Amino acid sequence: MSRSLEITITVCSWLCGIVLLGAVFTVIGYLLFKGFGTLGPQLLFGSVNPLEALLFKKQVFDGLFPAVVGTLLLVILSVGIAIPIGITSGVYMAEYANGGVKKIFSLLFDILASIPSIVVGLFGFSLAVFLHRHFSEKIYPSLLISSLALAFLVLPYIIRTTQIALETLPRETRLTALALGATKLQNIFYVLIPKSLSGIISGVILAIGRCAEDTAVIMLTGVVASAGVPKSLLANYEALPFYIYYISSQYMNAEELSSGYGAAIVLLGICAVLFLFAFMIQKGLAYRALYRA
Amino acid sequence: MDKSIKIRTKNVFFSYQNNRVLNDISVEFREHTLTAIVGPSGIGKSTFLMTLNRLWESIPGAAMKGNVEIRFDGAFQDIYLPSYSLTSLRRSVGMVFQTPNPLPMSIYRNVAFPLKLAGFKKKDYIDHKVEEALTRAYLWDEVKDRIRDDAFTLSGGQQQRLCIARTLIMEPQILLLDEPTSSLDTESGRIIEELLISLKERCTLLVVSHYREQVKRIADTVLEISDGHFIPEGAIPASPESAE
Repeated sequence: MSRSLEITITVCSWLCGIVLLGAVFTVIGYLLFKGFGTLGPQLLFGSVNPLEALLFKKQVFDGLFPAVVGTLLLVILSVGIAIPIGITSGVYMAEYANGGVKKIFSLLFDILASIPSIVVGLFGFSLAVFLHRHFSEKIYPSLLISSLALAFLVLPYIIRTTQIALETLPRETRLTALALGATKLQNIFYVLIPKSLSGIISGVILAIGRCAEDTAVIMLTGVVASAGVPKSLLANYEALPFYIYYISSQYMNAEELSSGYGAAIVLLGICAVLFLFAFMIQKGLAYRALYRA
Repeated sequence: MDKSIKIRTKNVFFSYQNNRVLNDISVEFREHTLTAIVGPSGIGKSTFLMTLNRLWESIPGAAMKGNVEIRFDGAFQDIYLPSYSLTSLRRSVGMVFQTPNPLPMSIYRNVAFPLKLAGFKKKDYIDHKVEEALTRAYLWDEVKDRIRDDAFTLSGGQQQRLCIARTLIMEPQILLLDEPTSSLDTESGRIIEELLISLKERCTLLVVSHYREQVKRIADTVLEISDGHFIPEGAIPASPESAE
């Protein structure tokens, strides 16, 4: 490769990186510029005493608190449903499936990953209708239905990242515990999963981001503009992405629009906290738990 | 020292992704000896080692035919019988790889790991076995004051001895070593060589090596693989793959 081409590629790579970083900082900066002024207890709790709201003694009707709680519950439930199924399926794909079965499942997971979220939302809505008709009339589009639909949406990310993380481990790593007399299951739990935890957590982080931001799925499966803090899994709920969408499309004045920007900043903050939590699990808790002698 | 036959293979054929690697290998190894296996890269030396603990079965695309018998408790046992326990085989036939591969845990936990896999729980017993294994691997004096430190804080040579200690803790009767010094400096390699010679008292050792001088120093027998066959016993390769 000629030196000038090498320099051109290096410069282009740097430029791409700078443009990407610039875009990220521009978006965050713009949100902060537009919405920073609205940040405060008033945005979250409205006219209700924050302590009373946090202890669920009083409902908040003019603040983001119910949407924050709804979003957190939605993310935790969806990822909580998707993680065990996704990781188990990823382990199956990497360690047990072979030949034709693996090819068919890979194709199915790829198709699943490419389904538009509005279609998944429609599926969730249909599921709610089906359950309402055939199982219980108490079942409507709700927090549980939204969580199931979102879990379905993010499942392929977790499966694929788990599978790839396991399959790309070096051969010697895969053989280390087996050579010491480990069973296949011991090898998976003691060596392969901990060694590929970094890749698996990447999939979980992607899933958290997707669950926190997706609006199309929840619009059809249970989110409403004003429901308060959900009282059960079968109740309607509020969520920040829907609030942002709703406010930005229906705002009556500049103050309402600003609260939409404020909600976007709060949503980013929630995602950052969840990502941090995922990293902490990756670096510390899971590692130590898995290797406790 | 008893030098009766410990391992015998008959008509072993091995292929990887439909490419023949080992071709009709019939060979015997004596107990408490160190046999060096030499030959060019990719010729099947490591593969041959893996036929002795059935580790190749975990590699997709690998296939083997033939018979491998190992003498345990005075009688030859066919290790490829379907009823033969893989875990107990691999505890009796330990293997150390080319690159030191400690697990991401403390020195103590690394060495105790095979005991954990085998279900041992008594702390006093595990402590005793860890110290014994590290002593046999010439590592105890260097790590006894930092046994709870991360294994990756050790040097490359120490990590390789840690891996040997981890294998020795199950008191294997056979030890397979796949180029154990190739990634180490001369001094670390020398310590490992001394260690291997000392281990002959307890184990039968098969060592894959590229180093001609090392083979001369440590091996009782040298076998060279060429075209999927072993060249007759005693031959030391005239042109080793890599110079010392």
